[in-house]
Amino acid sequence: MVSKMEEILKEIEKVINNLELNSQSQIKELLNNFLKTHLNRSKIDNFIGDYPTFIEPVYLEENVKIGDDVLLGPNVFIGKNSEIEDYVEISNSIIYSDAKIGENIKLDNCIIGKNSLLNCANINIDNCVVIGDVKNKEDLHKIMFKFK
Amino acid sequence: MSEKRKQEIQRIKELESINLAREDIRDLVIETKKQVEKDNDSLAEQINDELNKKGIKSIDIVGAIGSGKTALLEKIAEKLSKKYRILVICGDITTRVDADRIEKHNVETIQINTGRECALNAYHIYQIIKNKDLNNYDLIFVENVGNLICPSDFKLGTDKRITIVSITEGEWVIEKHPMLFKMSDVAVINKTDLLERLGTNIDKMANDAKNFNPKIKVIMTSAKEGKNIDKLIEALEL
Repeated sequence: MVSKMEEILKEIEKVINNLELNSQSQIKELLNNFLKTHLNRSKIDNFIGDYPTFIEPVYLEENVKIGDDVLLGPNVFIGKNSEIEDYVEISNSIIYSDAKIGENIKLDNCIIGKNSLLNCANINIDNCVVIGDVKNKEDLHKIMFKFK
Repeated sequence: MSEKRKQEIQRIKELESINLAREDIRDLVIETKKQVEKDNDSLAEQINDELNKKGIKSIDIVGAIGSGKTALLEKIAEKLSKKYRILVICGDITTRVDADRIEKHNVETIQINTGRECALNAYHIYQIIKNKDLNNYDLIFVENVGNLICPSDFKLGTDKRITIVSITEGEWVIEKHPMLFKMSDVAVINKTDLLERLGTNIDKMANDAKNFNPKIKVIMTSAKEGKNIDKLIEALEL
């Protein structure tokens, strides 16, 4: 049976895969609604890593890898097989499955698409959707979709 | 790696220990260390301002593992959950055991698992209050990670701080931890129900706290028997 949470995640995925200029307010509302209403409990019992810091609620699907000195939460969902490298801080965000967030990145209010790769250290990213590969700041500015 | 970057790394490494810093930059290392501490303190001030603006009272509870922080909070929650809309932030290395215990008494809880950090800091609290609708609360408790040393390095921006010890920790426990008692408003000496069996000199403990901080209020409690919880609530002006 598909849970309400999975249902909403699929709905958001559909919207971020068909972004239009006027999608901004819709995404903002969907993300807010998901984080405040559907992400109402933590699930952090099944990750691969040493000792990250969690501020509730944080929901990790199976096989999520987490590096050192990572701060997750509040309001974070991370899909299965995703990897969070060292010194990352994430709050108010959805990371879909099989994504990789490279070292020293700070995310707030973001949605990172399935299979995406964020690999440009020392950057703060907020209020945006990122789908695809980011290997430097130029890539990021090309592909990110700001919604605020 | 460039020379400049190497120098920067050297400087940051030295920050970890002033004693290891080279003579010519020791003053710089000390200054930087002070600035880092200031950052936590100014964030704590900002938190306190925001909570005050919303009329929210806030209390930070510190004590060793097993001293009775959670048990006392359970008793306080039992008595105050009808009077105040309470949020309890629980800090622990791992698990949700404390938050689950407290939640049974009709108060909202948020668990922070610090992983390898030995105390909560202002940034943890800031991240929570920034993301909560503060109009929903009148009173916030922060239960720090069980530890009598590290929490003294980090102000959290609460109005008051309680430090709890229990008589099972021995009558020297306060004497050995001056810092926390100097910065606390209330000292709780818990587990007095075991006094007859243990024979701990609790008058010495109370005097030690008063010697470090003449303004501190000392309350003897037994969370297990619910003894003096009202006195504690009164001392907290709640």
